[in-house]
Amino acid sequence: MSSAISRQFAAAVALGAAILGLASISHREIAAADHLDAPTRTDPAFDQIPDRPADIADVYAWHTATDVIVALTFAGPNPADQAGTYDRDVLYEINISNDGIPETTEVPIRIRFGHDGNRPGVQVTGLPGGASVEGPVEETLAVNGMLVRAGLFDDPFYFDLQGFRETRSMGTLRFNNQRDFFAGQNDTGVVIQIPRALIQAQPRLIHVWSAASRFGGNL
Amino acid sequence: MARPLAAAVALLLLAVAGCDGGGIAGGNPPPPPPPPPAAASFDVTPCLLQFVAPGQNLAFLVIPDVLTINTARPASFPNGRTPADPVIDRTLALIFLDFSRHSVDTFHNIPVNPGGNDVALPASFPWLAPAFGGQRPSLGGSNFDFRTDPESAYTRVDRMGMPAIATALIGSASKIPYNDDSPPQDLSAPPGSMTFKWVPEIRSQLTTLTNALADDFRAAGLTMCAQPI
Repeated sequence: MSSAISRQFAAAVALGAAILGLASISHREIAAADHLDAPTRTDPAFDQIPDRPADIADVYAWHTATDVIVALTFAGPNPADQAGTYDRDVLYEINISNDGIPETTEVPIRIRFGHDGNRPGVQVTGLPGGASVEGPVEETLAVNGMLVRAGLFDDPFYFDLQGFRETRSMGTLRFNNQRDFFAGQNDTGVVIQIPRALIQAQPRLIHVWSAASRFGGNL
Repeated sequence: MARPLAAAVALLLLAVAGCDGGGIAGGNPPPPPPPPPAAASFDVTPCLLQFVAPGQNLAFLVIPDVLTINTARPASFPNGRTPADPVIDRTLALIFLDFSRHSVDTFHNIPVNPGGNDVALPASFPWLAPAFGGQRPSLGGSNFDFRTDPESAYTRVDRMGMPAIATALIGSASKIPYNDDSPPQDLSAPPGSMTFKWVPEIRSQLTTLTNALADDFRAAGLTMCAQPI
């Protein structure tokens, strides 16, 4: 690259380093969207019995011309050789409000996992119209025009966590926008696609948040 | 939005700017904050109040902690969140930059962090890419032993709405109570307080970050939303 571009790039990376390095004053929250939060419950560095299954990685919610999609990822990121996490004792919530009031929940989606012998299955209840569906993971399940799939997926989140940690520990600029800590890593996740006609109301606002809870209390 | 904006602005302005919620959590000591540069003291109120998306200021992007989708507008964070969105670089812009001079993509255009996911994301269901190591096969099954216990038998571990913003702006000492709250609590005010429950904490954390970073932003030629005191 030209020297001008190179200088610009270096300045930009330095800025990023300054921002993210100093953000470490409140732990490494900004290092991930929600992975390993809350630390004293889900991060092995701060909890001897971290509850990885109940650790939400990310929640996504967006619309297309025809559908609203919500996706919840959790129990990661993990390397490629690890299996999905289907914990019977964790209740996952995707709470959707479609009345324009964000703190209310009109569509309380609940996700549970169970097993038939060693075969994991997923159950999703509280879908629009009170619909529910269950079946094996790693299969696309359908109900009333809605699609549900639980399984192991690529973790779509991207961020230079290594550079952040090295910059903090070494006091030396280590950021690299070509380096993605989450590359090559998987999360377990559930994706739910809902036709807009089944969920969109007036005003045209939809609010979404997620939670994970453990049966019998925290680990 | 159906929201009393004027009242909300008043609530934010009444927030206790000096409240320090970022203390040391038991078993979770953060490294001590670096001392801010001399005379670096900023008011982040303009950051909380500036409109960072159509009809939405930063405060109501974060409080309550939910993703907001306006289906009349294009889908891209902070209007909802797609798996491809550069949420970290955009979050840095949302909380630090003056949006009359910069855009939500000021950092992403560089980019400061990697510019996208390491593998292509499918443009249709299931939207997420297959697992590394190969998509796992379905094992079938039909008689699954799902729990039927009431929700009251479960204890909250984690919650999430907005990516990064809320987690970056909630200090270690407040992590557990923050994760135990839900949007109705986000919009509550403690007894004797005139502001939403988490406003003082968010204001405090953002102030600390802003004070420490002000010289770096200036050196980079960027204009902050925060104003010198």
